[in-house]
Amino acid sequence: MKNSDEKIKNFQKYLKLQKIQAFAVMDYDSLNYLSDFHFSTQKDALLLITQTKAFCFTKELYAINLRKAAPYLTLIISLNPADIVKKVKELKIKNAAFDPELISYIPGNMFKKAGFIEMTGEISKLREVKLPSEISKIQKACQISAKAYEIFRKKLKAGITEIEAAKMLEEIMFSLGGQGLAFETIMAFGSDGANPHHVNSKRKLKNNEPVLMDYGCKYGDYCSDITRAFWYGGKPSKEFTKIYDIVKSAHDITLKSAKIAMSGNELDAVCRNYIEEKSGLSKHFIHSTGHSLGIAIHEAPFVRINSADILRENSVFTIEPGLYFEGKLGVRYENTVLLTKTGAKILTK
Amino acid sequence: MPKLDASKLSALKTLLKKNKLDGLIISDVKDLKYILGKNIFFFQNEGILLAYDKGLYLAARSLYKIPLSSEYPEIKIEGFDYCRENKIIETAKKLKLKNVAFDFNKEMYYSGKAYIKAGFKEFASLIASLRVSKTETELEIMRRSAKIVYGALPYIKKLLKIGVTEKEIAAKLDDYMMSKGASGTSFTTLVSFGPNGANPHHMPGDFKLKNNMPIMLDFGCVYQNYCSDITRTFWYGNKPSAEFKKIFDIVKTAHDKAAKEAKYGMTGAQIDAIARSQIEAAGYGKYFTHRTGHGIGIEAHEEADISRLNKNKIGLNYCFSIEPGIYLEGKFGVRYEDCFYMTKNGTKILN
Repeated sequence: MKNSDEKIKNFQKYLKLQKIQAFAVMDYDSLNYLSDFHFSTQKDALLLITQTKAFCFTKELYAINLRKAAPYLTLIISLNPADIVKKVKELKIKNAAFDPELISYIPGNMFKKAGFIEMTGEISKLREVKLPSEISKIQKACQISAKAYEIFRKKLKAGITEIEAAKMLEEIMFSLGGQGLAFETIMAFGSDGANPHHVNSKRKLKNNEPVLMDYGCKYGDYCSDITRAFWYGGKPSKEFTKIYDIVKSAHDITLKSAKIAMSGNELDAVCRNYIEEKSGLSKHFIHSTGHSLGIAIHEAPFVRINSADILRENSVFTIEPGLYFEGKLGVRYENTVLLTKTGAKILTK
Repeated sequence: MPKLDASKLSALKTLLKKNKLDGLIISDVKDLKYILGKNIFFFQNEGILLAYDKGLYLAARSLYKIPLSSEYPEIKIEGFDYCRENKIIETAKKLKLKNVAFDFNKEMYYSGKAYIKAGFKEFASLIASLRVSKTETELEIMRRSAKIVYGALPYIKKLLKIGVTEKEIAAKLDDYMMSKGASGTSFTTLVSFGPNGANPHHMPGDFKLKNNMPIMLDFGCVYQNYCSDITRTFWYGNKPSAEFKKIFDIVKTAHDKAAKEAKYGMTGAQIDAIARSQIEAAGYGKYFTHRTGHGIGIEAHEEADISRLNKNKIGLNYCFSIEPGIYLEGKFGVRYEDCFYMTKNGTKILN
């Protein structure tokens, strides 16, 4: 995989269109996204993108690698946001901008004082539509996680703890080419599944109980996200089967209904209304229907109540209805999908 | 069932009183983990805690409300879907709080602006000031976390054989730490063979171990929420090259000197200078491309930097690493790291 400046170029087109001469970038995801380079932490670099250049403020530690991997970046050895302000002055730039939701309080105030303007959501808008190079990385990450499920099912044995099972699943993903985790694996046995963001414990798997696993890996810095719930050993309880069927059908119907130009709210309503009409259980569906993912595991467009975000061609998002019954069980079914002209296609397969 | 740690809560109350505050907004994921005693939130912005003179209020994404309410009966918990800042602002108003602060080092510009508008005050690093000095309980957990990584050294040395890859060794280290009770790694385990060590952040790859080359291992684990961190560089094979031996001795001496001469009351910069001047005197100053160390605790890297930039004093029970290194591009790198805590009589190793 060769690093590319295609995303910087896209952003520069955007800046020209908006008549913005420069944009200051400091959040981790945007840094890695725009630079197409993997920084270890948020504190390792700052970017100042002008209409023609991309300045990368970073540490000496990264310079050696960056010179080779990302020759399209102009390196400045400093991590002080004041040097961004200095550069902007030096270039005689009159309208520089920053995103108030993506910049910390102190540098935000510094930029504001220097006359920068606030523009919300510019980079995330760019990220909403995935480029072919991004889709192929997400697809690979999705295939790895889907394949890992099959292998995991064959290896799973009663007596294993949630922590051990999560580790086993993660190792399967790594052996299939996964390069990191998209987020902390959720491995919930029995009633633990009733907490959608359960933290794995030493609870041991017993015969005849449900398992809920929500996980994903990274490939080339891009995420996948998948959830499977199933009954371990014997015959599923009637209650589990009933809930599973509702959740799975809600997922299938939402998948079929997803279309370009729909809002996140509209698609969420399809899922939520179906559950309510079918079972009257929608108050147990205590989270959103889905979220987009890419370089970050949660990004716009969001598929949730009140979301005006528009689903576009080549948006990649999850469809993940779930029903939770405290002290008893939880069921969630999730796939990562790609929105195309002919509808949503499952990537996690 | 995790319980709120009474000593932390009373320290929090004292902190409020000392700063003449009746409310403090805590939104950083790691600060929340510190106060709540375990990792609750998967992502930033999923929960905001308002600590006030009489108790704790938590606004959390709706999906956390039910599980958290049964786990923390002593906290008033409300679910939110949007505008998390507004929940806190409304609650502060309802509670008639007059002096509410937020941490300007931890908020995004957007949130800070909303808080300023609501009349809240800027404060720096209040929770960090609690976190940086470890309690006896925390030190004990950190020692146990460290014991796991020191135990991994003899274990992994036995597995180093010609032909193994960096990735395989990294996986074995991770497995070992998990088998000893770790819940995860402090950061991605770094294993570098030969010239790869010249890049301080080299990610383990399919590079195979050959006879007569240096090996660098930098790893740590999370044990009961607390991180450990260690680096060792050594020669694999018969006799180390003269150059490796020379560089290793410079680095090791710089490490030992900094550990020995660091005194209570010195600044991070002063401790950094001990190690750095040693390496500079040997003529390798420009190849020591990073700080001497970093604070460690709930996060692998937290406050108490041992760097030229840290003019703050290193206080009692501050935990930090000392890890000088020299990197020779195309050849190899050497780094040597242990973690310490500061006592009145100087540093003590965490082990």
